[in-house]
Amino acid sequence: MHPLLEVLGYTITFGQVKANQGVDFDVLPGEVHALVGENGAGKSTLLKLIYGVYQPDSGEVMAGGKQVLIGSPADARALGIGMVFQDLRLVPALTVAENIGLALGGRFRLGLDRVAERIRAASEEHGLPVNPDRLVRHLSIGERQRTEILKVLMTGARLIILDEPTSVLAPQEVESLFAVIRRMRDNGYGVVIVTHKLNEVRAVADRVTVLRGGQVVLRGAKPADHDDASLVEAMVGRRVPPLARPRTEVQETETPALVLQGVSADGDRGHEALHAVSLTVAPGEIVGVAGVAGSGQKELCEVALGLRPPTTGTVTVSGTMLANNPVLGALKAGAVGIPEDPVADSVVAGLTVLEHMPLGGRPAPRKGLGIDWAKLATRTREDDSRAGLRMAPLYRRVAELSGGNIQRVVLTRALGGESTLVVAAYPSRGLDIANTRRTQELLLERAKQGAGVLVVSEDLDELISLADRIAVMHDGHLAGVVDAAGADRMAIGQLMLGGAEAAVDAGTTQQDATTQQEEGSAA
Amino acid sequence: MTATAEAPPTDPPTTPEPETGGSRLAGLGEVVLRWAGAIAGAIIIFAAILISKGTDPISVFTDTWSATLLNSYSVQQILIKAAPFALAALAVVVPSRAGLVNVGGEGQVIVGAIAAAGLDLAFGASLPGGLMLLVMLLGGVLAGAAWAGIAAVMRLTVSVNEAVSTLLLNYVALDLLLALIYQPWKDPLGSGQPASRPVEDAAKLPVFSGTSVHLGLLLVVAAAVAVWAVFRYTAWGYQLQAVGGNPEAARRAGLPVTRLLLTAMLVGGALAGLGGAIHLTGVEYQLRPGFASQVGYLGFLASWLARHKPGAVLLAATVLAALAVAGDSLQLDSGLPAATANILTGLILIAVLGWTGTRKKASSR
Repeated sequence: MHPLLEVLGYTITFGQVKANQGVDFDVLPGEVHALVGENGAGKSTLLKLIYGVYQPDSGEVMAGGKQVLIGSPADARALGIGMVFQDLRLVPALTVAENIGLALGGRFRLGLDRVAERIRAASEEHGLPVNPDRLVRHLSIGERQRTEILKVLMTGARLIILDEPTSVLAPQEVESLFAVIRRMRDNGYGVVIVTHKLNEVRAVADRVTVLRGGQVVLRGAKPADHDDASLVEAMVGRRVPPLARPRTEVQETETPALVLQGVSADGDRGHEALHAVSLTVAPGEIVGVAGVAGSGQKELCEVALGLRPPTTGTVTVSGTMLANNPVLGALKAGAVGIPEDPVADSVVAGLTVLEHMPLGGRPAPRKGLGIDWAKLATRTREDDSRAGLRMAPLYRRVAELSGGNIQRVVLTRALGGESTLVVAAYPSRGLDIANTRRTQELLLERAKQGAGVLVVSEDLDELISLADRIAVMHDGHLAGVVDAAGADRMAIGQLMLGGAEAAVDAGTTQQDATTQQEEGSAA
Repeated sequence: MTATAEAPPTDPPTTPEPETGGSRLAGLGEVVLRWAGAIAGAIIIFAAILISKGTDPISVFTDTWSATLLNSYSVQQILIKAAPFALAALAVVVPSRAGLVNVGGEGQVIVGAIAAAGLDLAFGASLPGGLMLLVMLLGGVLAGAAWAGIAAVMRLTVSVNEAVSTLLLNYVALDLLLALIYQPWKDPLGSGQPASRPVEDAAKLPVFSGTSVHLGLLLVVAAAVAVWAVFRYTAWGYQLQAVGGNPEAARRAGLPVTRLLLTAMLVGGALAGLGGAIHLTGVEYQLRPGFASQVGYLGFLASWLARHKPGAVLLAATVLAALAVAGDSLQLDSGLPAATANILTGLILIAVLGWTGTRKKASSR
């Protein structure tokens, strides 16, 4: 049996960076091949080479046993290679049928009735329920992803490449995606799934290839033959010890780091994005926030930092109720924030790393009318060595840094010094495993030193290992708060997807949530 | 293998600040080359226009060159003209640091001059000359700031774009000027032309002895140095840069964004107002129709040419002033229509700005 695709010795260089170096990779019909590696390991480059976006400097590619040339994405599609990008490429204003009709193309008229018929047949065949007549705009992320996969399948792909497909999904949706993947495998399709989560590799992959620094360090291995520690070691290049997580007793008598009482707030587009949320974060406590993307996590963080005025309810940071000038109030009370989108919300064009430091909220040392930059530089170096994230040099312009380096600047600024409340939105975004681990340790250290920590993450496992309690958001509501110790992933997933029946399944959860709400309304 | 992790390849360990002495010098060379290229290009196009009009471009250029730069009177004229240009340009530089676009230099200059003239009309006879001059300059500063403040307040309260409101206020200022000099402030002893009474001799800016260049030039240089120092050394200058670079980041840092935007605009207006008062007390001595006409717009261009850098603004203002003076001699000596000089100025501006535009795009990649 010939592989659907076999890549031999792919090498491509960007400037001085060998993004791929002698990469071998193959996919057989009827298998799921996981491609894993850190950010910057060369996964995306390899995908773009396979899909014809880039041309390799050297190396060859075989499809069905014959040597081929993939000069463009159109060539790739002609060879039966289909790609489902991370940012799903559908037109929101069109229906599912119109989107797929566009991809099928060919004639001037789309023949939408026939397309819709074919969609129904294909969605039956592959177990991908979608309604062809609905506008993409109205679909959930999971439904959009199904539409995208269906589109790729209907254009005749035999090899489906999924680029980090689970990063935007709730656990239940991940499960149903995996069911679809297994079904495609059983029907003889080849599937490549890019991920950095080992439990997903174990759940769905037949073989795994690990990339590091542009090179293949583990080729086509059976996941069962390797334990987690050795797979992580392959990805990172060294051993990463498990997160040491000392749990500290929460002092009930102390002033809470954060109290939200019945807080509602509007989102950017004027709709109510946060509805009557009551939540308390004690000093020394880490509260994780889980939820499907866009369930109000962003607004929750912004409300806690005084950046978004609540329409009702009150926000109290470390004993200070935020009122006039809430941003300054929160900062003065000792709150620090790690924004959801550091490039848009933190990076100032033209300013250096050092010049970004006073914008973290901690007052900069002054000298007359100016800022004492020398003293600030000393303090920043201390913060940097304490944080241990090896931030970029102080005189580099931040706008010129890569996303991961920008995140390290933002993290060092927020976590390198004292604080009473840390509000961290996706703190490990863009970081490699080692820096992610270091960031988690920093959050634990902050908590140990008495800060309350509110941390939003898409990674439920991260939250379970890091947090004391997990607050689950659904559609702007606090669907429940569960203890992280021994938390049931599926129960949390039910809460993320919402509905009263979900809370019943989650058991203790609902009780927690109502207690929280009672506390809120009683006060 | 160190204890900390190696950065992945696309996250390379960052190198130290590249702005060493050598590359800074190379940068300067590049700027000079860019300007030279742009001006040469503009002159070639202009030569083509001259040829099409049946004039010999070489003789026009040599005549203009000698009449402008080799003539002490012309050099003085350039300096005198450059002074208000530079202040009007600084009026753009300061707000632009905070991300604001001040197109209102024209109006702010006029209002500054009106305030100075008004103070002279009211108190000119009763105050000693030196003090009167000081009061007039201060009045110009305050009036310019107030005029710009109108636009700033409109922006901050009802979200009117300040580029539009400052531009429209220019027309209001001009009409205000005309209304005053056609009626209440018209000089009864004048020739019948609409113009205000000349300021008291004692309240005129002194000149460098043996020249017609007034001492206000020193104020202009001082203003540019002050703006540079404020940008470089004060927290306010730093905060303006933060607001201009990313207002959301500034807001999240707890900076008083509204106050910063307002003060940047006020300082800008104050500088233009000072320009108007200096032009009145140092050059024109009386308000008349066409007083300081185009000064604000040329200052706006000077600021863009200088990429809103306070030091470079002095140079850009001088270049524009030289072009204006050269235009006068073109008109007089070659018998070319008045518009010809404007064509040359326009061509050079477009060439220089066009060049900076593409360069910016290339460097932002």
